[in-house]
Amino acid sequence: MQLRLFPLLACALLSTALSAQDEGIDWLSNYEEARTLAKKTGKPIFLEFRCEA
Amino acid sequence: MFDAQVVLSPKDSPRGKLMQQYVCVRVPRMDNVDIGLFEYDRYNTLYFFILNADEQIYLRYGGRDANSQDTFLSLPAIELALSKGLELHKLYQDGKLARKPRPKPVFPKEFPHLVKRTFAAGACVECHLIGDFVNVHREEDGTLNKPQHLYQSPDFRIIGLHFDIPKGLIVKDTQGAVKTAGLQPGDQITAINGETVYTFADLQFAYDKLPRTTENMKLTVERAGKSLDIDVRLPHLWWKTDIRFRQASIDPRTYFDSLPLSAERKQQLGLKPNSFASEVSHVDAFAQMMKSHELKTGDIIVAVDGADTDPLADTAEFYIKLRKKAGDSVTLEVLRGDQRIKMPLQTYRMSFRK
Repeated sequence: MQLRLFPLLACALLSTALSAQDEGIDWLSNYEEARTLAKKTGKPIFLEFRCEA
Repeated sequence: MFDAQVVLSPKDSPRGKLMQQYVCVRVPRMDNVDIGLFEYDRYNTLYFFILNADEQIYLRYGGRDANSQDTFLSLPAIELALSKGLELHKLYQDGKLARKPRPKPVFPKEFPHLVKRTFAAGACVECHLIGDFVNVHREEDGTLNKPQHLYQSPDFRIIGLHFDIPKGLIVKDTQGAVKTAGLQPGDQITAINGETVYTFADLQFAYDKLPRTTENMKLTVERAGKSLDIDVRLPHLWWKTDIRFRQASIDPRTYFDSLPLSAERKQQLGLKPNSFASEVSHVDAFAQMMKSHELKTGDIIVAVDGADTDPLADTAEFYIKLRKKAGDSVTLEVLRGDQRIKMPLQTYRMSFRK
């Protein structure tokens, strides 16, 4: 059970850290939104898949 | 934790400055992901793609082994990948990069067993579940090729190829097959069988696509400013990598590990030189719990259902994994001390995951 909860806790902490950090990179969580923004800005996309394996 | 180090990169750091030239997106659920476009070894905890809005993938970043999810990950190397991605994007925008055909879209909802286990149960579509259930469907429709589909992402160290991980595809050390072929420390690999690669993940993805019957491959390297092709003769079982971390993928489950016997030992015991006779090195506690078998460490398995050789298997455990299905019962012939005994073994599927 602890092993299953650890990644969830880590994700929760990371999410909190992401929202609390003003100086960090802006990350989207929706691929289609990222694609739309990439079209609009001409930027490439840096896509991360994060999974519990 | 590599994930946090990348995601929380400060804007004013060299990595952050590179990342600000991208639209960054982090996807923790695979529910609606086009797994046809974003094809990769689903047992990677982290995997990155650099692509453009037209869904042209420039390069990949990722890779792991049985020891750790981070073995092949490095912050300097991901910075190299980010820099290369920007170069390739500029070429694409200038019309100097050929457009590749887009792979056919495939979505997790197209796999009924996966749907039952995840969507229908309100559970997350985790990456490794996709890998597992795609193989369940392959097994059902008769297309499962175990050497190809279970023994994924072969370890380059089997052919003697060691990388300087922070430096991307710079070779650090060579042994065995690649040393014999002429690869040298300091070489930078740029292509495999003519396919350009920019990262370890690119190379591993292309290498994994090789049919397991492949006997030769061509690596293109840069050495002292010159491009050089090196033909590598692949050794027997070049693809047999340590897959114990893919615990849910490896069916049938046998709950023991075994090691091949040496030629001398086989001779002492009067066994064939090409026998897959092997010594039990570990018995999982589940063996007793599941009433799978009564093997003990040190037992020597000399045959399975009467078979003692196989063109691929070098251990009895490997033979069962390759040739039997989850749920099959087999009879082992075992040497224990001075006794030769017959022992039943019941295999299982990891049912709580599938």
